Amino acid sequence: MSVESLAVELLSAMTTAGSLFIIAAGLTLVFGAMRIANIAHGSFYMYGAFLVSTIVSSFGGGAFWVSLVAAPLIVATLGMVVEVTVLRRVYDKDHLTQLLATYAVFLILADLAIRFWGAQSRAVPTPAILSGSMRLGAASFPVYDLFVVGAAAAIGLGLWILLRFTLLGWRILAAVEDSEMLAAKGTNVRLLYTMVFGLGALLAGFGGAVVAPLQSIDTGLDANIIVAAFIVVVIGGLGSVAGAAVGAMIVGLFQALGILWTPSWAPAYIYLAMIVVLEIRPSGLFGTAEMA
Amino acid sequence: MEPTRLPDNSSQRPGPERRYGAARAWLARAASVNWEMARDAAPVGAPVRGPAIPEAPAHRSAGAPMAEAWPTTYALAVFAVGALAAFVASRVLSPVWLLELQHVAALALFAVATNLLVGYGGLVSFGQAAYYGLGAYTIALAWLHFKAPFWPSFIATPLVGAVSAFAVGLVALRTRKLYFALLTLAFAQLFYTVAQQQYDITNGATGIFGVAVPAVLMDPQVGFFFVFVAAALAMLLLWKITVSPFGLTLRAIRENRARAQSVGVNVFRHELLAFVLAGAFSAFAGGLFIIHDQSAYPELLDWTKSGEPIFMLVLGGMNSFLGPALGALVYQISHEIIVQHLKDWQLVLGLVVLAIVLFMPDGIVGLFSAKRWRRWFARPQASGPNPG
Repeated sequence: MSVESLAVELLSAMTTAGSLFIIAAGLTLVFGAMRIANIAHGSFYMYGAFLVSTIVSSFGGGAFWVSLVAAPLIVATLGMVVEVTVLRRVYDKDHLTQLLATYAVFLILADLAIRFWGAQSRAVPTPAILSGSMRLGAASFPVYDLFVVGAAAAIGLGLWILLRFTLLGWRILAAVEDSEMLAAKGTNVRLLYTMVFGLGALLAGFGGAVVAPLQSIDTGLDANIIVAAFIVVVIGGLGSVAGAAVGAMIVGLFQALGILWTPSWAPAYIYLAMIVVLEIRPSGLFGTAEMA
Repeated sequence: MEPTRLPDNSSQRPGPERRYGAARAWLARAASVNWEMARDAAPVGAPVRGPAIPEAPAHRSAGAPMAEAWPTTYALAVFAVGALAAFVASRVLSPVWLLELQHVAALALFAVATNLLVGYGGLVSFGQAAYYGLGAYTIALAWLHFKAPFWPSFIATPLVGAVSAFAVGLVALRTRKLYFALLTLAFAQLFYTVAQQQYDITNGATGIFGVAVPAVLMDPQVGFFFVFVAAALAMLLLWKITVSPFGLTLRAIRENRARAQSVGVNVFRHELLAFVLAGAFSAFAGGLFIIHDQSAYPELLDWTKSGEPIFMLVLGGMNSFLGPALGALVYQISHEIIVQHLKDWQLVLGLVVLAIVLFMPDGIVGLFSAKRWRRWFARPQASGPNPG
């Protein structure tokens, strides 16, 4: 294989990894802080993509940049509503109850999406400035792929700054460690949880918005993405943002390799990757045993 | 049988034991019945790994053990009444309903088998559809590739389910809780991928249709009666398993893993056996599905299909043996009705599941439990450890 085609494959793997990281980061953040495995995270992703398609189709292609901000914000609001109405009531329940509660939200949002957007699939045109491809020697990269990778890197950096240097971030990390102690120290943990969940939904919505031009948007998106996102998070270790980044790269690479080697077996690769990782490290690469 | 050969720790460490009285009572009971099982596990005097302080008990099941075991005669009576009712139903109901109930019977067995893991074992698997689908695919593939007759492959379904569940369980049971749920899901998705992508073997996304089923079973009346009785017999067997020493030990593990380990139960072996049994019975349920549907397709293996038995057992009530079967009936019938008239099935299902997990954790069966009525109508209980 030539160097150029290898580079193209690698970039396509990193594009997959980038979009997976954006959504998985939100999932793992929510799990770390609240110990909730949020199946409805996939719905937030789908809503992000649908909202972009609605905004772009009603206001024209130029509205893409507006939608990139507006869609995640709307989804974040939806997420906070879900947190206040449903999740608050199941924090102290067992994990089956929690899984079922978020699964129920997932089902409700799935049917509401069909109500709002219909069952046929939609497409969002790539914004003019990011369309086309960039030549590098014999290889050519789609510009939009580079944009997705850049967006993922920006999200990663943003989360790192948030968790490392801001009071809100410290509070989130403290809630991961010991939420009771944090409450005793005077933090409104209920509000913090709502904000963390809103942030998670924001990331899911942004993930959906960013990849909207790359794929057809239909109502099966939620079920497909949530499995992939969980695999990324589990490989990296539940609750670890850095783990989500590594997990996303592993899944992205495995998927690209799968498509390259044996296309018909490609989807199986990521499941195998997860099984192998958990067989070696039962709590994921960066996870701790008590997280499970 | 000598019930009191286990070392009595309570005299040495009185603190935690007294606090976890309910779990202790369970263990003492389970362990006394389970002496033979415990013998082949770790030696009783062996040092306990990890601290002796038990884990926090699961919220739902803490202090609320499953219904007391019935004598076998009662269970046989229930079976006989059920079979009689099925016979009458097969004469009275229209073929459309009989076909629908045939599907319900297969799903009911699937849900009851899954509850062996979720309700009795406290093991939330999100990949049980793998075995249900595998049961269906066993018959369909044998027919497609080898033109195999129905009966041998039908009888082979539990075996296929058991073997594949054994292989998956060996890996998946090394992890716990959410990791376990997601690992079982990953295995199921692996099967799903094979079924969906390997067109040469499985017909891919199209699935396999028109599988040959003995002509006599195609008759709705005979078919329904056969499927019902087969499912009921399987449930009877499952019930015997749940009240056996093995079943009691499984509950003890659910209630308090560390303590079960400390009295010498081989936790991994028990959980693996539960996983294998659930897989075998789910695969058998998948075989029954073939009689109803004569087809096997990838959606039978999808993760959303794995959610169905969990909805059913929560809907019906996971703390009773037949609750999941009742849940399957309510789930499937309301599915048919709502899909025909309202379209928004997922919306209704989601709202119902939310209502159940938030307000009635014992499901439909819980509505009829004596405890609930007592709480509403009787005078407040003066004593007793577990009011409400």
